[in-house]
This record gives sequence, C-alpha cells and structure tokens, in this order.
Amino acid sequence: MVARGICKRFGRGATSEIVLNRTDFDARAGEMTFLVGPSGCGKTTLISILSAMLRADEGDATVFGADLKALSGRALSRFRGETVGFVFQQFNLLPALDAAENAAVPLIAHGMATGRARRRASELLDRLGLAESLKKFPRELSGGQQQRVAIARALVHDPKLIVCDEPTASLDGASGHAVMNILRTLAVRPDRAAIIVTHDDRIFQFADRIAFMADGRVVRTEKRPFEEMH
Amino acid sequence: MLLIALKMLFGDPMKLIGLVFGIAFSTLLMSQQGGFFIGLISRAANVISDAREATIWVMDPQTETIEGPTNMRATELLRVRGVEGVLWAVPLVRASGAIRTAEGRSTTASFIGVDDASLVGMTGRFIAGAPEDLRSPDAIAIDQLGFARLWPGEPLETGKVLEVNDRRAVIAAITDAAPGFAAPVVVYTRLSQALVYVPGGRNTLSFVLVRNVPESDAATVARRISETTGLRALTSQAFERATIDYVLANTGIAFSFGVVIALGAIVGILVCGLTFTLFVNDNIRQFAVLKAIGVSNGRILGMVASQAVVVAFIGYSIGIWLSSAFFDGVNQPLSDLKGFWLPWQVAVLSAAAVLAIVLLATVVSLRRVFALDPAITFRG
Repeated sequence: MVARGICKRFGRGATSEIVLNRTDFDARAGEMTFLVGPSGCGKTTLISILSAMLRADEGDATVFGADLKALSGRALSRFRGETVGFVFQQFNLLPALDAAENAAVPLIAHGMATGRARRRASELLDRLGLAESLKKFPRELSGGQQQRVAIARALVHDPKLIVCDEPTASLDGASGHAVMNILRTLAVRPDRAAIIVTHDDRIFQFADRIAFMADGRVVRTEKRPFEEMH
Repeated sequence: MLLIALKMLFGDPMKLIGLVFGIAFSTLLMSQQGGFFIGLISRAANVISDAREATIWVMDPQTETIEGPTNMRATELLRVRGVEGVLWAVPLVRASGAIRTAEGRSTTASFIGVDDASLVGMTGRFIAGAPEDLRSPDAIAIDQLGFARLWPGEPLETGKVLEVNDRRAVIAAITDAAPGFAAPVVVYTRLSQALVYVPGGRNTLSFVLVRNVPESDAATVARRISETTGLRALTSQAFERATIDYVLANTGIAFSFGVVIALGAIVGILVCGLTFTLFVNDNIRQFAVLKAIGVSNGRILGMVASQAVVVAFIGYSIGIWLSSAFFDGVNQPLSDLKGFWLPWQVAVLSAAAVLAIVLLATVVSLRRVFALDPAITFRG
C-alpha cells in the first residue's frame, strides 16, 4: 500500500480546514502497521482514504494494485466490499441480527446464500471462541465479545486489507489484549496488510511498524520487530 | 439482503407499529370515505335501477334527476306511445310526503306511483306481500327500513294502517327497495293512489317509462322520442349517469368527501413519511456500516423499498379489513346505512394511494442515505 502526497481539506472558504497535508504512507502485506498520533492529526481521515471510503483532494494512493483515484464511486464500493475488512471502535454491529448473521453480512452482501454465509461465519466465530454465542444479539454480548464478532465480520470474506479504528478503545485492558491477540493471529498473513489506528500505547507491542502522525502528516515510521519482542 | 432489511424492520417493533398504524389509518379513512361516497351517490339512481322493466325514461326537459322532477301533462304519455320503436309506455309519478302512524311516529318518504294496470316501475324485491296486493284500496308497499322506523322492534307484517298527508293508507306489502337519496324510505303505490296522497295539480306525470321493441336499440328509440315529442328521453343507464353527474355537480358531496379522502391521504403521507424518515435516520449508522462494507446504493434502495412495501402490505391489509368489517357491520337491512359497501375499485385505488405514500416516504428518507458518507462509521 503506497500513498504519496495525500491532501484532504474539509469545508470551504475561510472556514475550511486542512486535515491531511501532502502526507506519504506505506504499509506492507504480512505486517500489522499502527497509525498513531494525537487527536485531530488526521489518522482517521487517512485510513478513510486508504480504505476507499473517502476521496483525497490531491495525491495518489495505490492499494494492492488499485489506483483509488481512478475508481468510480461504484467501483470504490465494490473495492471496499472485496478488498477491505473493517473493525470499528464502536463495533457497529447491526442490533437486529444475531452474532452469526452479523459476521455473515459481507458474504450476504456479495451474493452468497444466507445459510451458507451463516455457516462460514459460524466457523470463524467458533475459532474466535464464540461458539456458544452464535444466536445471541449484540445487546446480549459483552464489549469484548462484540468486538470479536466485528473481527469475524472483517475477516469472513477473506479481504487483503484489514482496517481497525481504535479496536481496543471501548474495552478494558484484558479484553483489549485478547482482541489484539486474535487480530495478530488471524489478520496478519503474508498476503494481507493490517492497519490499526490507536491511541492505546498498551497495545503497541503488537505492531510490526508504527507510523507517527502530527498535523496532517506522517512524521516518522518505526519498524518494530514483533517476533523478536515475543 | 432482503432478509437483513426485514430483520432491521421487525427488530424495531415500536416504529414498525407506528408505520403500520399510519398506513392502516390512512387506508381506513380513504376506503371508508370512498365507500360512503360511492354508496351515497348510488342512492341517487336507485329508483331508476329498481325499475328493471323500463329501458327508457322520458321526462320534462327541465327535469335533471329522479329526485326533483318537473311534472308533465298526462297527455304526453299518449304522444310517447305513438313514437315508432316503443313497445310499451307507462306513467310514473314521483313525489315526497310524510307518513305517520296512529302512535304518532312519522318519517318522510319518497312516493313512487306506478301504472295502475301494469304496476311497472316497482322494485322486484318483496319481503312480505306481492305487487298484486297494491290493487287493494289505500294499499301501499313500504320498504323494511321505513317499517322499522315507524314500528321499531316489531316484526315485519302487512295490514298496518297509517296516514299519508292525512289520508288513510294500508301496508299491503313490504319491500327490500334500495334506499332513495333525499329520503331513504321508499313507498310504492298505484299512480291513482299516489295522486290522492300527494296531489300534483294539473300536471300529474313525472316520468314515462318506456320499453323499446327488440328490433331497435334503446338509445335510438330514446333519440327518436326526444325528436318527436320535444321531451327529454334517456336510456336507463344514461339517466342513472346523468342523475349521478347532477348530484356531483350541484351538491357539495364530491367536495366534502374529496376533502376527507385527501385528508386521509395527507395524514398517511405525514405519519408514514415522518415515521419512515425517523426509522431510516435512526438506522443511518447501520446503513453507513453497510455502505462501508461495500453494499451499493442500489442494494440499499432495494432494502429500504422492501421494508416500505412490507409495511404498506401489512398496514393496507389491516386498514382494508377494518373498512370492510365496518361496511359489513352497517350494511344491514334495517340500518340507515343500508346499501353502503366497499367497492373493489375503491380498494384498488386505496392500494394505489398507499403505494404512492410509501414510495414517497422511501424517496424522502433515502435522500439522506444516498448522500451518506460511510466514513462516519469511524467516528465515535
């Protein structure tokens, strides 16, 4: 994943605000890259652009060979559906669906039959330790369990890019640690990149690489030898 | 995705109830008032449709409806009989009068005086007695609604005596005549007897009922009667239509019912539009999540449209059932609302209106979803 000279401005005229200011960013398959920095430095905007949710005003972003600038709105939507898996801070599960259905949504959205999608999602939830909670609704699950369902939803369609926005912010220390262990185990593969946006320095130990942002730019990148630390 | 859409819909029971209530109430209001409207204007032509033997109605050129005829001279009957293509022609007088029982109960009624010899022009539906019984002195046939008004709770029976404009009348038969427009109670009697009850001065002929010979068609014969006599001659169907048109054009019925029906539609649009928009807005984050994971606007449109159609189907079914049950309840032989029903055309039009309401609500609520930035899912 290569991003060069990315600019993004919100608002118009005198009230406009530059959120990303000609920033560069790189992430590699097989690694878990953390994007860290103070609030308002542009982390979320950058991952929104890299995950094809938002268009950059200037600059180029190439994600697994796709030039995001060149894609139409419909193609961006299809790209997200096929290439990206999301884990959100607020979990964002659909309250009317049970755990297995929530995890199966990306497969159903891609046209897989509901029964087959549910079975595949259930297998993944089983690996995430939620075999007993397949039919539970989000309101019946703890925060940690909800985040595991969200991880299953992000992985179920086997995307090449996993984007996690503050995945541990709504969890206590133990649950956050458990969630990061799961992500580290399931999300990192030689053909897949994972980007984690976080403020939580307790989980920095899980990173292969940390990109530090300030004032709309990536100012420094550190390589963290995960295997050596563990 | 359809299943997910329906689970989202049924997962929020309070809003679902609000939506269904809005559609059901709107359907009930539109179909019930529509049925009332059709039932009421149909009453204007009931006497015409009850006189099944006649194919042509002849009247003074000033006469617009069955309810308020301008009487003609009795000799006009002979002129009509002389027109080519007329198989037979009989007189009919129509007037209004008050009837009163010995106990003091009274009601107004439409009096239909039919040809003494043939008794043509009467309804064919008799509950007690027979048309021939009208040949007795002072005999009248009253409908069961009129009987129930004059002798409430008593069994339907002939032989009762009453007063019509201070003249003696005897109930010789009880009919199931369709109710009239101005006065729902319909009384049939011989023409000679009717003129005793409601004297019409020199001009004693309200209508001439005609049947054309089989070799000619009714419209041609009616035109010939008009050309030959200078009178107004219409086929039965044309007279029914003209009567209804006159009522629509010269009373506030169409306007007042139209206002209520429009209010029903407006209430439906407002309730459904607001509730549906609220429903979609409350689920905006869920739609954003779906957009984020690659669900296209087209599929979201399909999801919301399917939710709208399901809501419309449930709400319409409840509303039309309530409306139908209402008409079943009031359309009883002794009810003032006898003859009111729910025409299938009203049900179909109500369905079309409901569909338009939910589609409008869908369009309004989806505008925000289509403009939705999926990146909001990253915000806390």
